Amino acid sequence: MSGQGSEEMFCLSEMEEDALKEFFNMGLGMAAASLSQMVNNEVLLSLPQLKVVPYEEATKMLVANEEEKLVAIRQNFTGELTGTALLIFPGAESLELVRTLLNEQMPLEVLMELEQETLQDVGNVVLNAFLESFTQMMSIQFEFEAAEFLKGSSSFLLDISSHLAAQRQSLMSDESGNDERAFVLMMDFKTHDEEQTQHTLSGFVVLLFSQYSMEILKRELKVILATL
Amino acid sequence: MDKKTVLIVDDSSLARMMVRKIFATSFKDWNLVEAKDGEEALNLAADTPVHLALLDFNMPGMNGIELAEKLLVKYPSAGVYLVTANIQERMHQRAESMGIGFIKKPIAENKIADILKQIA
Repeated sequence: MSGQGSEEMFCLSEMEEDALKEFFNMGLGMAAASLSQMVNNEVLLSLPQLKVVPYEEATKMLVANEEEKLVAIRQNFTGELTGTALLIFPGAESLELVRTLLNEQMPLEVLMELEQETLQDVGNVVLNAFLESFTQMMSIQFEFEAAEFLKGSSSFLLDISSHLAAQRQSLMSDESGNDERAFVLMMDFKTHDEEQTQHTLSGFVVLLFSQYSMEILKRELKVILATL
Repeated sequence: MDKKTVLIVDDSSLARMMVRKIFATSFKDWNLVEAKDGEEALNLAADTPVHLALLDFNMPGMNGIELAEKLLVKYPSAGVYLVTANIQERMHQRAESMGIGFIKKPIAENKIADILKQIA
């Protein structure tokens, strides 16, 4: 906890947090339905954990092992909401996800060739669905940039300056990174194959919002809750 | 005249509030009973006859289909609907074969009006 002035501003009430979780769950439901169509298989996504933390703390939550290789799909968004969305998997599990989604026995080298493309598609579906769940319920407009595939150590993937730099390329923004906030969502993927064998693996979704975007989100949440 | 009862089960209080508001505004002749999970719902349903059940799919403990199955054993003529953003082919088939309907989230007044016509 930084104890800075912005801390209070971003403290969500229990009801606001519940509302956000419901939006994310709706997004996840849409993502699961799209993925299911993509892979012609049942896909269940669940959200066991949601936290809103300063970005620095988010990186600590994800970095269990400095040396561990991770893969991530990064997508920046701009407009009334500005920020970066990341879908992160442990490197060893990402190939397993590709194998599960493609539901085929493939040689490792073919699987590795398909890894980037498949995960980029998955990331695109999941991250878009998450953020679009906001637009369904709120009067917020924003646009996505193309998804990027990243692979490396956790410290490389979670380096905030690289995300801010990527955002700035399109934004010309001079916002300071100090007040960035992140939603950290732990997400479980489950798929059932034809033999009804269940595969489960966990990943993380990190949504990094600018301070201004967080204020908009909070304002919109208040509006929605006031109508109920 | 006794009011009919709708059972709303969702672990999100926002989702329950949204359904509650729609009934309180437009369908006032229904009695509302709410639960946050399957277990609480079954306890309520033990004492209160249920005519319509609107169930979230992803909940802690039993999921919406498991709960629907149990409710239909007790109230075979009740209208039972899964309220979810996630409607997949296989789940759809399984639910349909059990007589369970679907409402796509986000919930809205016209969607509830449609199912009230169906079960009337």
